[in-house]
Amino acid sequence: MAVRPDNRLADAPMHPVSCQACGASVLARKSSWQQTSVQWSEAAMATCRSWDPGDPFHGRHPACEELRGSIAQAATDGTIPVLESDGGRG
Amino acid sequence: MTVLETTVLETDGDQVRRIEFEAAPTRFARGWHCIGLERTFRDGKPHSITAFGKKLVVFENSSGELNVLDAYCRHMGGDLSQGTIKGDEVACPFHDWRWGGDGRCKQIPYSRRVPMRARTQAWQTMLQDGLVFVWNDPEGNPPIPEQAIPLIEGGPSTPGWTDWAWYETRVETNCREIIDNLVDMAHFFYVHHGFPTYFKNVFEGHTATQLQKGVNRDDMRPAEKKIGAPKRLGNTSAATYYGPSFMIDDLLYHYADGDVKTVLINCHYPIDENSFVLMYGISMERPDDGPEDPEEAAKLTQKLVDTVRLGFEQDVAIWKNKTRIDNPLLCEEDGPVYQLRRWYEQFYTDVADVTPEMTERFEFELDTTKPNEAWRREVDENLARRAQEQDS
Repeated sequence: MAVRPDNRLADAPMHPVSCQACGASVLARKSSWQQTSVQWSEAAMATCRSWDPGDPFHGRHPACEELRGSIAQAATDGTIPVLESDGGRG
Repeated sequence: MTVLETTVLETDGDQVRRIEFEAAPTRFARGWHCIGLERTFRDGKPHSITAFGKKLVVFENSSGELNVLDAYCRHMGGDLSQGTIKGDEVACPFHDWRWGGDGRCKQIPYSRRVPMRARTQAWQTMLQDGLVFVWNDPEGNPPIPEQAIPLIEGGPSTPGWTDWAWYETRVETNCREIIDNLVDMAHFFYVHHGFPTYFKNVFEGHTATQLQKGVNRDDMRPAEKKIGAPKRLGNTSAATYYGPSFMIDDLLYHYADGDVKTVLINCHYPIDENSFVLMYGISMERPDDGPEDPEEAAKLTQKLVDTVRLGFEQDVAIWKNKTRIDNPLLCEEDGPVYQLRRWYEQFYTDVADVTPEMTERFEFELDTTKPNEAWRREVDENLARRAQEQDS
């Protein structure tokens, strides 16, 4: 029972992004400025140096702010497309 | 009528999209499954449940452990759940064969000795936070330590919190439907009359999380009004599945006079591939300035869980009539249904065949801007129409 691929990735795949702080490489995708998908790998998790395990019970969830910033930067630079912006799709 | 500006993306000609699905798997998920409240099973009688496609017997031994066995006696097929508990064993009503919690026949009162291979299937159990859990593994291996259900912070084991207000109900569909809900942001508006303003999912290892913030809809005569629960302004929720079927939701309800902290459990076990038992419960922190009387707090908890019940009934109405679909056609404002199912697949796969894609961390933060614009407009129109109807 193989799970199928996401229909949204057919014409707009995930793109590699390297963290500016530690070089960890993930796959990211932005369908708009606010939407973000991030696919981590075991290697990226092992490389990440700024991982904040958070405190879920008090509403702070595990995250890496450095990587978040790097993806935002990649979107601003045009290194990864933002689909809703002009000419983003395709 | 609202006219939404929706961009129709170019498709390959005029081809009709087909809904595709395979039959639900007859294999059942590996992992801990909650089968209900501990106190239900502590009445000195064996209990019958149907789970993982089999009839099971649940019984308490003399040291207070709860045991789960295949219900059918290996002697002549009697139903052990109709029998009696005798000491540490469950006795078959047919010929009084005695079965221990380890699955072995301990004695046959009318026989000199127990025959070879007098062993039936036993499930490992765990008791925690007033709940009973059963480990299911089609490969027959013991529980995976890393997949233990965490103790609940807040909840009945924490001083100042109410006992579970609990519901159980049978649902006639495959349990993948309820898993899909974890990522389905838009259904919270259309089915549950909620208004999500923030929505994010994270899958990692054997956990799958939904972070959600929502506001109340002014156009909906709140369902909670009907049951006499107070009007709420919104909620903040952090819900995580630990394994295939047990979700702990740290759920904060916002009211005009302050927040109420609750823990919501949403869990299920499969009866067979086409039905499951859905269970949910709420425990609430008694507010400092709230009712001193524990009875009062319990009543409020009951009202909260009644609201949750209304929500699940709305889901069930959809599930009853919908089709299974393996190729959902998603728009960009939908959540990560495919990635969730990829995560869920690990529990239906032999441990040796679980792939990194099933367990590696995946994050999906939804953009609620466009949905919120559309919903705000719909809410405003509903309010305007209602005002007009009242005027005329």
